[in-house]
Amino acid sequence: MNRVHNTKIVLWLITGLAAAIALNRFVFGLGATTNLNDEVPWGFWIGFKLSWVALSAGGFVIGAIFYMMKREKFHSLVRIAILTAFLGYSSFVVSLIFDLGLPWNIWHMIIYWNPHSPLFEVGWCVMLYTTVLVLELLPVPLESTSRYAAVRKFLLKFRFPIVLLGIMLSTLHQSSLGTLFLIMPRRLFPLFYSHIIPIEFFISAIAGGLLMLAFETLALHWMYRRKLETDLVRLLCSLSVWILGLYFLVKIGDVVLEGKVGLLFEGSWRSYLYVGELLLSTVIPFVMFVVPKWCANRKVQWIGTSIGILGVVLNRIDIGGFAMRDATLWYTPSWMEVVLSIGILSTAALVFIFLIETFHVWDIQPRDPEALAHTPPLFDRVSGAWLGNPKTSALTRHTLAFVISFAIGMALISGKKLHAEGIENVTVRPASGIDTLCINGNRDSQYVEFPHQAHIGWMRNGKISSMTLDSIHYVLRTGADSCLVCHHLNLPGEKLSICWECHTSMYSEVDFFRHDWHASSSGANLKCDDCHTPGETRTAQTARKCTGCHPSYTFADTAGNGADAYFIPSYVDAMHKLCVSCHTIESRVLKDKPNLALCSTCHRTGTPPGLRAGMKWDVTLPRFDNVVLPTPVPGVK
Amino acid sequence: MESLLHFARGPLFRFCLMIMLLGLARILFLDLWEAYRAYRRAGDKKMPWRLIVRRSLEWAFPVKRVSRNPQLYSIASILFHIGLIVVPVFLFAHIGLWKKAVGISWPALPFRWALWLTISTMCFAAVLLIERLFVKSIHSLSRGQDYFWLVLLLFPFITGFVCANLNISAGLYRFLMLVHVLSGDLIFLLIPFTKIAHCVLAPFSQIVDALAWKFPPATDQEIVETLYRFK
Repeated sequence: MNRVHNTKIVLWLITGLAAAIALNRFVFGLGATTNLNDEVPWGFWIGFKLSWVALSAGGFVIGAIFYMMKREKFHSLVRIAILTAFLGYSSFVVSLIFDLGLPWNIWHMIIYWNPHSPLFEVGWCVMLYTTVLVLELLPVPLESTSRYAAVRKFLLKFRFPIVLLGIMLSTLHQSSLGTLFLIMPRRLFPLFYSHIIPIEFFISAIAGGLLMLAFETLALHWMYRRKLETDLVRLLCSLSVWILGLYFLVKIGDVVLEGKVGLLFEGSWRSYLYVGELLLSTVIPFVMFVVPKWCANRKVQWIGTSIGILGVVLNRIDIGGFAMRDATLWYTPSWMEVVLSIGILSTAALVFIFLIETFHVWDIQPRDPEALAHTPPLFDRVSGAWLGNPKTSALTRHTLAFVISFAIGMALISGKKLHAEGIENVTVRPASGIDTLCINGNRDSQYVEFPHQAHIGWMRNGKISSMTLDSIHYVLRTGADSCLVCHHLNLPGEKLSICWECHTSMYSEVDFFRHDWHASSSGANLKCDDCHTPGETRTAQTARKCTGCHPSYTFADTAGNGADAYFIPSYVDAMHKLCVSCHTIESRVLKDKPNLALCSTCHRTGTPPGLRAGMKWDVTLPRFDNVVLPTPVPGVK
Repeated sequence: MESLLHFARGPLFRFCLMIMLLGLARILFLDLWEAYRAYRRAGDKKMPWRLIVRRSLEWAFPVKRVSRNPQLYSIASILFHIGLIVVPVFLFAHIGLWKKAVGISWPALPFRWALWLTISTMCFAAVLLIERLFVKSIHSLSRGQDYFWLVLLLFPFITGFVCANLNISAGLYRFLMLVHVLSGDLIFLLIPFTKIAHCVLAPFSQIVDALAWKFPPATDQEIVETLYRFK
């Protein structure tokens, strides 16, 4: 089994899946990708990426041990540690682009300073430290070419101050990532909230960074089938024991001194979360590594480092969003959040593997087993064609894995979320016709015929009569209320406002009162107190009624609401509400018209008879979006 | 059947479409990558660019080529290609689906044009199939894939034609629509892995053709050595 190849394939598969979700995030937004909301805006998404920064701490820890304390034993780890740190921070920055609502404004932090914000410090430190890491790492790829020898020499000359700068910046922001949470005592559950949370973050980052390096060394040896430098891993593990012990003491000390011991045994899921996290991140790895004999055992090393890393990750995720003070503020991360986060990591891992295979990062530069001279050539399983030299054959298979998993990702993204582009705002067009109105608000191939005069006559006399439109004016003049059944609200100065004049949108609710217009200086230019009683809570109920200013408003069924009904239904809803309610009642009363409430009684499909001549081609043929309406009972009108 | 149809035009369609788009991008990338590598290794780096462009254009608009080939086959093939590309892309109903799903649309083909193009595509496919089966010179060049593709491509056209133009029962309509969508999905899925990949590779085929004759230096020696090793 080729472990390198299989690992790469798995990583490419995850990357492909994540790429589909990344596309979804940029096209349809955060709402379609994550389960985050205004109350839990951080959650798993941020917590997980905070842990990447923590696990990258190996870069500065090993830098300090090797360059400042001159411990030569760690020499073979320096480049790997710096590369890990670089990739950890780069992933963090990349993931920020997915996380920010307006990612193209990411550079604003550089120009628009807000020195009071902890994020300002974190942002600057991350930016500067990533630059430092690039400078620390750059001599490695420059080794392979003599063209930039001067640059390399220059960088090596200033290596010590660069490393020093890196240690300083890391110390600053590893702790100030904890400072971010200092400002939320009312949000975080008290067990997780602490005044020394920056210190806890710093210590746990050092432990996490060391454990991550040990884990990486183990994984690389497993992957490339190398003989393990057990001694080096043991050294890292035994070093982390001290840090883990310190971390445990700080955590427990904080709980005891702040009087939060009772909360530990509260029995709620948040207390379990805290205890679990404490066990994973400190107690279990500490116990495993504290005995020298166990510490040298490879299996123990695997399990201990994995558990420790899991603990640190869990700590950051808990503080990032799971351990809220308000138990109702729970959210379940969507699968897309999880996959996208892991996908960024797998991309980083691919870059890591590429770099260690291409440049002299590790003490002995590993090579892909398939690229070795004695490896037999590879052939396509279906066509039998030669897959080319190792580079091409790897590319062929890896891109296939990427394409397939990307396609699966696109298939898995919910179709409903793909449609989540808001409501299309369709402005209503007035009905055409005189006596028989053709109601077709959005001017598609479906319309409703409305025999106006027949309706008036029916309402006036209780049966259909031959009343003409002229008599409407008579009805209005004589004060009969039959017109007001439909024309329930008239605009100031009007007695026959038509439906579409207020219900201006086809499918969405409309603000017919237009509060902002009334309050703006370019509109009605009213002061708050003109409508709202001073001293009272300003609500629609307590405000002055519309008729207070517009006495000529005529209200019928909305009279009781007045200004309460700011939002009026869409044209479609208004029509349905008005027509269907009456038709339903009448279909029960009138025995000869059982179809009165059926959709097809009013809705017609095709071109209105009067317009047919003007159409270029007949659109009555079946169409993808045609509504197939139930057929009325034959012989019954 | 309703839920199956929903699946076929939802997740399955997205999967197949992505396999097609990315798969085509992938083989195009691999093709150009290999061409670039071959160019870098080539001993003689002179490329007959003018000839390559001329030949590519000639094959893209094979007016000149028609007279030299079996004429009926060439003409049928060209007309078949036109309908094959234009109808699915510019059909009013398809554009409507795109607009509903992702909000993009483009000008549609008038209904009658679409109708006649569909009929012509089906007829020319039949002509191509008959020629492949019965004309000796063409038959000898045909592989299983060629027959398979002609038949497969006919499925969505026939079902789409019946669904859009004939008065059929709702049950049959749904069944035919399912066949229409599923066969379309299958076509998308297979495109990057079969000969239909020529839709993106064709413009570069002449470059690859020219590069194939540029052997790297000392190739002859290597070939001799390799042959000797496997003897």
